[in-house]
Amino acid sequence: MLRTRDLTKEFGGLTAVDSVDFELEEGELCSLIGPNGAGKTTFFDLLTGGLAPSAGTIELRPSNGGDSEWTDITGASPHETADLGLHRSYQITNIFPTSSVLENVRVAAQAAGTNSLRVWRNVGSFESHIAEARAILDRVGLEGKADVTARALSHGEKRQLEVAIALAGDPDVLLLDEPNAGVSSESVDAIIALIEDVATDHAVLLVEHNMDVVMNVSDRIVVLSQGAVIADDTPGNVRGDPAVQEAYLGGYEPEAATDAAGDGEAGTSEGEA
Amino acid sequence: MAINPNHGSDPETNSGDEQSGADPETANGADADGGTESGVGTEADGGAEADPPAGRQAEPESGLESETAPTAETGTRSVEESGTLAWPARYARDHLVHIAVLAVLLLYPGVYALLIDSPLRSELVALLPEVETMIAVFYFGLFAMSFDFISGYTGYLDFGHAVFYGTGAYVVLLAGSGKVPLLPAETPFVLLLVLAGLLAATLASLIGALSFRLSGVYFAMITLGFGQVVYVFVRGWEFIGSNPRDGLAVSERSGFEIGVPFVDSLSLAIGQLTGDEFSVLATTLSTSEVSYYLVGLVVLVCYLAMQRIIHSPFGRVMVAIRENEDRAAAIGYNTFRYKLGAFAISGFFAAIAGGLFAGFQRAATPDSSFFFLVTGDALLAAIIGGFGTLAGPLYGRLFDEGVREFLSKAGEGGGLLPYLREHLSEATLGTDLVGGITVQGAIETFLNGHASLYIGALFVLFVLFVPDGLLGAIRARLGGPIAKRLPDRIGERLPERFERYWKALER
Repeated sequence: MLRTRDLTKEFGGLTAVDSVDFELEEGELCSLIGPNGAGKTTFFDLLTGGLAPSAGTIELRPSNGGDSEWTDITGASPHETADLGLHRSYQITNIFPTSSVLENVRVAAQAAGTNSLRVWRNVGSFESHIAEARAILDRVGLEGKADVTARALSHGEKRQLEVAIALAGDPDVLLLDEPNAGVSSESVDAIIALIEDVATDHAVLLVEHNMDVVMNVSDRIVVLSQGAVIADDTPGNVRGDPAVQEAYLGGYEPEAATDAAGDGEAGTSEGEA
Repeated sequence: MAINPNHGSDPETNSGDEQSGADPETANGADADGGTESGVGTEADGGAEADPPAGRQAEPESGLESETAPTAETGTRSVEESGTLAWPARYARDHLVHIAVLAVLLLYPGVYALLIDSPLRSELVALLPEVETMIAVFYFGLFAMSFDFISGYTGYLDFGHAVFYGTGAYVVLLAGSGKVPLLPAETPFVLLLVLAGLLAATLASLIGALSFRLSGVYFAMITLGFGQVVYVFVRGWEFIGSNPRDGLAVSERSGFEIGVPFVDSLSLAIGQLTGDEFSVLATTLSTSEVSYYLVGLVVLVCYLAMQRIIHSPFGRVMVAIRENEDRAAAIGYNTFRYKLGAFAISGFFAAIAGGLFAGFQRAATPDSSFFFLVTGDALLAAIIGGFGTLAGPLYGRLFDEGVREFLSKAGEGGGLLPYLREHLSEATLGTDLVGGITVQGAIETFLNGHASLYIGALFVLFVLFVPDGLLGAIRARLGGPIAKRLPDRIGERLPERFERYWKALER
């Protein structure tokens, strides 16, 4: 779906992303973890074109059967990568604050195709965009808030809207940058359910700090530290990796996961930690 | 908005929120969801049936957050009620406010003429703007609307907007003087307007292509810079005449006519001296009145066109760019192109406004058309009327011109000063106030020629206390565009009031 070769980003003397070779498979839910400043968000910005890489390439392959060609998207602008089916959500809520919730998603749905160039017909007559937006609001659990002004939503709902906007326009790859950021523990479950649901029909790359979430939902985990990949493996193996323990996981007890999430997977891998 | 998810939701939830009224939060967003605010947007009703079950499914969920839940229900009533009406009635109801405003404007010259002959003559002359003032309100209001189109909807303050106004004015005047190659002096005015618009749109694309590489205050500065460059150029452009600073006046050509090009019987000329008179129903409309209606007509057509664009998918992208340009790019919009397109459209209408100004006045100077303070006046009108509301700037300009005329010197349309001079007796005028100043002296000191000072003070007060402007504030109050919410509010309040009075009478 998406792969990078030797992807590097330098800010002056600082190497924020250091020769990252990464590949995201179709239908996969891969998590990207690492301490603050490890370069996760910079990596996202490179993938979507928000930043231009210092070196390396990024390639994208649309999800029709798997035999389609790789497209080089290195240096493409954000609207071009979005157009090719690579959508992202943001760590810091990034919505259209005074528009309604529905309009937030509708305008995103409208971005695919050429309808946005129509200056003479009322938006209301483009029913497919409205229908798509409503279906997405349904999916993320905001269907009752469609007419609310976006900035009037609670923080948790804004996080849901953040994902909803990224979902609009049927992307192939979703980059979710801490969808749980700042969400209270009782609302986390709703977001986890949303991530798992979204992963059923998109390739997802997830940045997340909550280890219980990461260990439970991920097919694969990539660990970044100081811009470089230090581990790329299944959740169980990553948890047992001493380098990861030192760089990031230090002190993470899988038992806590059993208590908090009560999920089966944490239990099976207890012994490895 | 026209698309309501609660189309089929149960009526109990609706009655609950009528009490609390509309949430002011929704009002600010309401502009973006304006749906069919324009007089021509009938198609939007199509979305109303889009997804009836959504409202039902929402019920258990919204019960959890009952504080914000009612906001989702506002506007339900209008859809339900209008659903039972035949479409002409529904249309009339949806556009009640628009029809009322149009009717007032349509009747204004006649009513003004009647009232001027009434016993209240001098009071009304002091208070009401003259028909000539209203013409200026129209064309400058259009300019302010075009300014608002780019600045209020896309969020880019164009401090060089006067360039397009001046372009429109100068194209009309140069062509009218026969100075443009290939364009005879008698080229139909309507064609000149369109040509001026296209030229300004091209100019806007060029200026925009450079300026939209910047944003925020830098954009304002670079457009101001372009504006001043063009202003200085025009001020020294000898092609215009031996003294380009004095601008340009048309003397050769007959009046600038508005109507069907090349068909004399279907066009009438505008202008105070060179305009046509027109006889209908045993009355004769003066040149000013004819100009009032024709300039008003062009402005109305332009307003409807801009309104149409604002409520199109393109217009929604403009709003998305204003709201959050980075995200608009991230969801797949090439924001640069949309901004450029919006800027060109805005320049087009600004030039039409400038052309109307030149056509009516038959003269313009660089200072009255290209100067940056002309943009300043548009900004003033937009802020007073409501930034980001398309009709607002027109009301803002009306307010501005109205106050200016009210406070102007004698001979500039009547106002407070001549009224007081006329009506206060010699004895009153001679009375000493504090410190040896007579009433006469005080009037002269405080009123004569200080209109701009008071406008400035009013502007400060507006920015401080009515930051959303006239229209914006009323929208916030009503919880949506006025044309949508007012009929509902009247529908809610009137029977209630009536009942209350009735009960009081019974007692």
